[in-house]
Amino acid sequence: MTRAGHHRLCGSDVHRRAFLGAAAAGAAALVGDVTGIRILSQPALASELRRNDRRCILLWLAGGASQLETWDPKPGRPTGGPFLDIGTSVPGVRISELMPKMAANLHRHTAIIRSLNTGNGDHGGGSELMMRGRGREGGLAYPDLGAMLARELGQADSQVPDYVSFYSETEGRNFSRLSAGFLGSRYNPIELTDKMALPDVERLESIGELDHRERADLRALWSKRFARGRDVSAVSSHNVAYERVRGLMASDKLFDISTESQATRDKYGPTQFGEQALIARRLVEAGVPFVRVARAWWDSHGQNFETHQELTPELDHVMNALLDDLAERGMLENTLVVTLAEFGRTPNINASLGRDHFARAWSSTLSGCGVKAGSVYGRTDDDGQHVADGEIGAGELFATIFQALGIDHEKEYHVGARPIPLVNPGIVPVEEVLA
Amino acid sequence: MAIPTNIKHVRTINRPGITLCIAREGESERVFTGSSDAKVYALDMAQEKPEAVAYEGHASYVTGVAVAGKHIVSGGYDRKLIWRETDGGKLVRTVDAHEKWIRAVVASPDGSLIASVADDMVCKLWNAESGDLIRELRGHEQLTPHHFPSMLFTCAFSRDGKYLATADKPGHVVVWDVASGEQAAAFDSPEHYTWDPRQRRHSIGGVRSLAFSPDGERLAVGGIAKIGNVDHLDGKALVHSFDWRKAERTFALEHPRHKGLVNELRYTADGEGLLAAGGSGGGFFFWLDAKENKPLGDEDAKMHVHGVACGEGFAKVYAAGHNGVAVWEMTA
Repeated sequence: MTRAGHHRLCGSDVHRRAFLGAAAAGAAALVGDVTGIRILSQPALASELRRNDRRCILLWLAGGASQLETWDPKPGRPTGGPFLDIGTSVPGVRISELMPKMAANLHRHTAIIRSLNTGNGDHGGGSELMMRGRGREGGLAYPDLGAMLARELGQADSQVPDYVSFYSETEGRNFSRLSAGFLGSRYNPIELTDKMALPDVERLESIGELDHRERADLRALWSKRFARGRDVSAVSSHNVAYERVRGLMASDKLFDISTESQATRDKYGPTQFGEQALIARRLVEAGVPFVRVARAWWDSHGQNFETHQELTPELDHVMNALLDDLAERGMLENTLVVTLAEFGRTPNINASLGRDHFARAWSSTLSGCGVKAGSVYGRTDDDGQHVADGEIGAGELFATIFQALGIDHEKEYHVGARPIPLVNPGIVPVEEVLA
Repeated sequence: MAIPTNIKHVRTINRPGITLCIAREGESERVFTGSSDAKVYALDMAQEKPEAVAYEGHASYVTGVAVAGKHIVSGGYDRKLIWRETDGGKLVRTVDAHEKWIRAVVASPDGSLIASVADDMVCKLWNAESGDLIRELRGHEQLTPHHFPSMLFTCAFSRDGKYLATADKPGHVVVWDVASGEQAAAFDSPEHYTWDPRQRRHSIGGVRSLAFSPDGERLAVGGIAKIGNVDHLDGKALVHSFDWRKAERTFALEHPRHKGLVNELRYTADGEGLLAAGGSGGGFFFWLDAKENKPLGDEDAKMHVHGVACGEGFAKVYAAGHNGVAVWEMTA
């Protein structure tokens, strides 16, 4: 997909349709939700946001990357491990020597948050928490980050998916329990595991392209006649759903990186993580509001340093390539790239020269859209055992992500009569990392 | 000689941090250790409470230490080699030796040469006295078969000093002719390397120890067997032996009781027995009948053993480990 193609999909003519379509989407939620959960949107705000064409790519470091071997090194301390730190392009800010490319470009796009205390060191619980911004509460099924951003940034009549998640490794794949929760299945992710392509979108061989198109035209004709003189939102929703199917069937080309130049493919590298990051760029370029690229598995209970010698340079390379590519295409000012995991790793080094689960003082990064590049928020103590300054939890991080994308974090959904804010009440964004 | 398979713990000197390597000064009870606190320590283990005399100079983990003549030579993840006098610890020289982490430092049997191996995948031979670089030995790939940076973990001289073996993460082993710098043999021992392409998509393992038999004909290769869950060192301790000139494996043993990395291998003087030491969360020693390919005595070490120093008789074995330095006695 070329930049011109992006404009065709996301340009100004789309915004008017997006505004009109939003009503249909809201109506679809009302009608289509058999549980009786009612969702009220705020069309004015949503329309404002959609004009911005904002997107988000989440690099999910599944299993828990070590903050000490990435963004918050402690060289020379008993807990520091063997890696040195290196200076970055931001004076006074040092990161692990395993990340020379990000170090050289830190000032351009990226903010580091070093003070997450999220309190859940369990893979399942931590993943759910860090994909939702809050823990479980009673029987209420909170939507995950991708679903909320699909809801807030997506276009009702979009021809491309709203939420795509890559997770090719098998370990930990289901820990996050990705789900749109009370937002309804409209915002559930398309989860790609074995193949880097949309599943089940191929046209049946027994139906020719012309036949397929004529069937769609006939269906549209009948729907149009049926709707004439009727004010039934369900009909609109029905038509939108069919249009989306056609769009999804056509969007399989977005997953084919063979159409990219060799130079671009080389930039991302030959790894699966790199190729998926390249696809993520193609998807957001085409208008997909949220893509998660999971790289598993960082759970280095044994041989932590050898594991990070493999995985951290790969992250450094792929993340840097992705940010560069987005910036060169003029997309980074509208695309937020987040690195996150379910938790970090213990400062203490165990007898297997490993690090274990640790949610008390760890790191995340935000790059691009809405971010104050080169900023560092929060501080851990000398050994990385505790947050010394600027402690935040998952909710604050989510509020910051929403704010960076121009979404009011105090916005409320409604489940029945109950208002549900995007993040829990009283939580505020980290203004220090926001542009 | 009978194989000293009775293994008895004598005492442990607790040390802070991780003691990663150890070398002994001749047949004395004076040992030098390398530590995760970037220091080399001298300890007189004959004392009831040995004082640890610290030598600074490295900037990261000290992973190799060797005694050659009047010098102690240490290497670390800071890529430096540091020469000191064994008597008093006076600094002799510091050399920026490698481009990446130094994984091991060994002295030739006659003490004239120092060999260092590092993750730049180069083995370097140094004049132990002058510190001059004699030659670089390049025969290991920079990347693993799966595009990740490889690691050159270990090296060992033959008893006559004519050959030097080096081994890396994917299990490639090279035997070098020390005099010419030519490859005398090369073969692979891939069972020491686990690549998980599906569940976790990274690797673990690698060849961590090498030992020539006293007659120089066999080369023992130590590490960890294939691992199902690469989050942990959850594979059996693995020892292979090769007729290295023919590149033929002559035996393979996955220890039935002990899991983890085999970090050290030592033959008895007659080549009949082979001592292995290493660990994962805990540690182990075990003996092998090197001719019959079968395990003999073994013992839990209560600490992951990263390094061993001992004489040919194994009367006293000094072990560097996660919690300090331990003394073991091994008798027939």
